[in-house]
Amino acid sequence: MTGKGLKIAAGLVLAVLALAAAARVGLYLVEKHEYKEPERAQLADPTPREQGVLDEKAAADKVASAKPYVEAEYRAFPGIGSRVAIWIVAQLHLLFAAFVLAVPIFALIIEFIGYKTKDKRYDRLAYEFTKLLSVSFSLTATFGAALTFMLIILYPKFTNYMMSVFSPTFLPYVLLFFFEAFFLYTYYYGWGKFSPRIHLLLGLGLNLVGTGIMLIANAWVTFMTSPAGVSEKGAVISTWQAVRNFTWMPINVHRIIANIAFGGSIAGAYAAVKFLQATTDEERAHYDWMGYIGNFVAISAFLPLPFAGYWLAKEIYAYSQTLGLTMMGGAFSWLFIIQAVLIGNLFLGANYYLWLGMGRVPGAQNFQKYIKYLLIVVAACFMVWATPRSIIATVSEVRAMGGSSHPALGFLGVMSAKNTAVNILILTTFMSFLLYRRTGKTPTVPWAKTGNAVQLGIFGTAAAIVIGLGITGYFVEAKVRIGLSVPQVGSVLLAMIAITVIDVPLYRKARMSGEVQWGKIPAISQYVLIFIAVTFTWLMGLMGYVRSGLRQHWHVYGVVRDTSVDAFTPTLGFATKVVSVTVLIFFALIGFVFWLASLHDKKDWDGGASS
Amino acid sequence: MRLRVPLLAKLGAVVVATTGFYTYVGQMVPQKEIYPPKEILIKADVTTAEMTTIGKEIFEGKGLCTTCHTIGKKTGPYRFPDLDNVAVRARTREPGLSDVDYFAQTLYEPDVFIVPGFNPGMPTINKPPIGLTDQEILCVMAFLQSLGGTPNVTMATKHHYNGGGAAAVAAAAPAAAPKP
Repeated sequence: MTGKGLKIAAGLVLAVLALAAAARVGLYLVEKHEYKEPERAQLADPTPREQGVLDEKAAADKVASAKPYVEAEYRAFPGIGSRVAIWIVAQLHLLFAAFVLAVPIFALIIEFIGYKTKDKRYDRLAYEFTKLLSVSFSLTATFGAALTFMLIILYPKFTNYMMSVFSPTFLPYVLLFFFEAFFLYTYYYGWGKFSPRIHLLLGLGLNLVGTGIMLIANAWVTFMTSPAGVSEKGAVISTWQAVRNFTWMPINVHRIIANIAFGGSIAGAYAAVKFLQATTDEERAHYDWMGYIGNFVAISAFLPLPFAGYWLAKEIYAYSQTLGLTMMGGAFSWLFIIQAVLIGNLFLGANYYLWLGMGRVPGAQNFQKYIKYLLIVVAACFMVWATPRSIIATVSEVRAMGGSSHPALGFLGVMSAKNTAVNILILTTFMSFLLYRRTGKTPTVPWAKTGNAVQLGIFGTAAAIVIGLGITGYFVEAKVRIGLSVPQVGSVLLAMIAITVIDVPLYRKARMSGEVQWGKIPAISQYVLIFIAVTFTWLMGLMGYVRSGLRQHWHVYGVVRDTSVDAFTPTLGFATKVVSVTVLIFFALIGFVFWLASLHDKKDWDGGASS
Repeated sequence: MRLRVPLLAKLGAVVVATTGFYTYVGQMVPQKEIYPPKEILIKADVTTAEMTTIGKEIFEGKGLCTTCHTIGKKTGPYRFPDLDNVAVRARTREPGLSDVDYFAQTLYEPDVFIVPGFNPGMPTINKPPIGLTDQEILCVMAFLQSLGGTPNVTMATKHHYNGGGAAAVAAAAPAAAPKP
């Protein structure tokens, strides 16, 4: 075949293939569009749609009506979870409650001083403190109601259990709350409307009822930590025993003192704000004095607070060594380092405020020269107290140190050193108070030199006992060491009482080098007062956390176990964030209280008539 | 011109800065979430060696023993007795009690005998909040026997507190010179 023939043959083959392909495509298109009978179900649906719907509903109703009642154990709070929600609301309730309980205590004392001395300034001051109460009382009640409802909604089973144990205490609580409102509003609105004695009695009633409310509420929270009066399975044996459990009385005492310290600091912060807003010297003088009194109340209550803390910790250990060790040597041990920073700052702030305040009095130079020594002691004690026993370190650092404790500084991390540091801090702050009190005064009594020498001797002896016992603690066994804190605390307490007893007659008819010039204090002192108030609030939040968190995965320790999703102890970092959020909310709200209280002094709106 | 900062801003700054500082301090300390102890399933046919391993886990976990006790701490101060070689001491700690009976007594009735030099403080281990079961306590005993000795308890071991006949002796008097 020639080449031409081959080409023709190939062309024919290609043409045939192309035709075949075209025919296949054509056939496919025809088949695709061909009409086909639809495939239908052979059997008709025996249940029409409407009937089916009715049947389904009837079946669902039957299931629903047969459903047994199951008590919800927990419910979830959206977003932040139940634990954090309860935590924040409970803490806000406690902060306002502490303020509402504390202010009447020192308002009454100040009013009484005014009544006895016939000095109207005290009466005005007491009234000014009381002005802060009414709105705070409403906020306390609001947060209390919110807390109750949230507990019922979010922790129904646990709340039910608490009700079964404490139901006899609820009606008295409500009744006392009613009386609290009665006394508070009569005390506030009746200022100047009754005879002073009747008014003082109203104040006394307010304090007694307020304390009663606190005692009942304390029974509930302390029972959760150290339950008593119930069987091993949780059945109620005695409500009274449940009330007076191991930690009830220590918490009562600790809270009364802490409330006064906290209330004084918040009142001091109010005075600081008013001082900074003041436009006249008279206003500045008044609010400087008010701030001083608020801070004096706060620090006076703060000094014995560690002693109440010792007692509380002792009772926790007495109830359960495991609980005590979880607190001080286990999960929460590092929390006490944070606490040390806070308390150290409080002491520094309080001392700094006193030192600044010496400038109000002519002739302060005699005492100001001692400040640098006091500062050195305060700073040294602060550093000792904030020194942890074990530190976070890399593997190589641990090897270099020969363990997780620093070879030298590690010795400052144990309780012997810390007890010594805090007792010396208290003595030093007391000394600052004493110097402030003496500023501008010269004693005139013939035994002045002897009195001063005896005071110095008592101070030195107390310091020597504290340091001596602190050192002894390193060389004795645990059983003895734990007991040493009692004479340490006792000697400081006795020294403060003895020195005060001598100081009062010593300076009774003292010669003054000049009057106290209230209002003549640097503005920074007022920011120190606010710093102290924030620190106190934060400290209350932190210690509230450890008191509650100590139970770990128990709602009622050893009796009602927490089986919720939150049945774990969060990191301290997380806890401090929650505390901070609570503190910021509290200060936003207390700012509102301050603003409302200040409206009282503003002129009435006259619709522009005066312009 | 000098910028005048409103008082409210200054006050807010003091509050926020103070709070922020304490929050920062809170982030600087060790961070650890603590979960409830895990439940360990103990089969009836576990060997003594397996019991020792399980006992160690319970000792360090659910039993919370390490909250108070140390093992092999060379120098004081001791909060509670160190348990190094405790298997040896347990055999002679209380006259008339075998090591198993002594361990059982310290766990079920810890206040019956207090090691001299220490305060009472040991919780009853089979009751809440720790609440170990009889089987878990046997495993812990196996682990304690391994501290200076050879474990020999089994899941069938009986003592005074789990239906066994050997009565525990209430011995309040201190034993001979103890290791803390």
